[in-house]
Amino acid sequence: MSTTELIEKLKVIVKPYVKNEEGFKNMTEESDFLNDLKINSANLVDVILDIETEFDIIIDNESMEKMLNVKAAIEIITTKLGEK
Amino acid sequence: MTGNDIVDIKVAATESNWKRTGFLEKIFTQKEQEYIKHAATPDEMVWKLWSMKESAYKIYTRQYGGRFFAPKKLSCTLLSSTSGQVTINTISYQTITSSTNGYIYTTARQEKYGTDFLNYCCEIHGHFTNQQKHVYKKLVASYAANNGEDNRNFTIIKDKNNVPFMYCKKEQQKIPVSITHHGNFAAFTIN
Repeated sequence: MSTTELIEKLKVIVKPYVKNEEGFKNMTEESDFLNDLKINSANLVDVILDIETEFDIIIDNESMEKMLNVKAAIEIITTKLGEK
Repeated sequence: MTGNDIVDIKVAATESNWKRTGFLEKIFTQKEQEYIKHAATPDEMVWKLWSMKESAYKIYTRQYGGRFFAPKKLSCTLLSSTSGQVTINTISYQTITSSTNGYIYTTARQEKYGTDFLNYCCEIHGHFTNQQKHVYKKLVASYAANNGEDNRNFTIIKDKNNVPFMYCKKEQQKIPVSITHHGNFAAFTIN
C-alpha cells in the first residue's frame, strides 16, 4: 500500500476524533495527532484500536509508544503488514 | 514541579467508550484493571486513573524530555480515596485527585511534602480556541494578583515539545506551569 493510500485510510480512521478541522483538512505525513489534529490523548487509544481492526494487525506497547503522528503510524502499519 | 490533568465527566462519556474491546487493556495495568472492576463507580475510576497517569506524564516529560504514548508504563497505586502514586521507570510521583459531579482533577508532584503550589480550577464555556485563551488569561491574572504584579508582565509560552511556561517579561524568567482543559473545565498549577 502506498503512503498516499495509507494517509487516506488514516484520515477516515481519525476523523471522528479530530478537534481541529483546519489541521484535518491539511493533514499530511508530518501531522501530529495531538498537537496538529487536537485529538485528545484518550481518543488516541481509539485511533490505535481502529487501526488494528482496519489493517488486521496488533500494535504492541513498544509500537504504541511512538504513535504520536501520521508518519510513525504509517511506519508501524507498513512494518506490521510486512510481518503478516 | 507539578503536573495536572482534568477530565470533564460528561464530555468523557460522549468522547470515549472505555467499554469497547481492548480499550482498558491498552491503557491500564492488571492492577489498575482490578481497581476498575471493583470500583463502586467504574466510570469515575477509569478517569481518575487516567488523570493520575496524565498528570504524572506531564512532570516526567518536563524533567526528562521526549514524548511518548505509553499509558501502561505509568503505573498507578491508590493510597486513599484521594491520594495515589504513579511510577514510571522507578521514578514515583505523588498524586491528589478531587472529584465533583462535573469533573475529576488530579495534581501530581514528585515530593511527598513540599512547598505549596498555586492551584486554580475553573468552569468555562465556549469554543476550543477561546477556552485556551480564557485559561491562559486566568492563569496570568491569578499569578499577577498573587504577586502584586501587572498582568501585562506575563505571557504563556510553549517550548518545542509543547510544554508550557509563564514568561515574565520584566525579569526575563520562565516559570514552569501545568495547564489542563477538557470540556467545560480548566485548571492550572504554578510552583
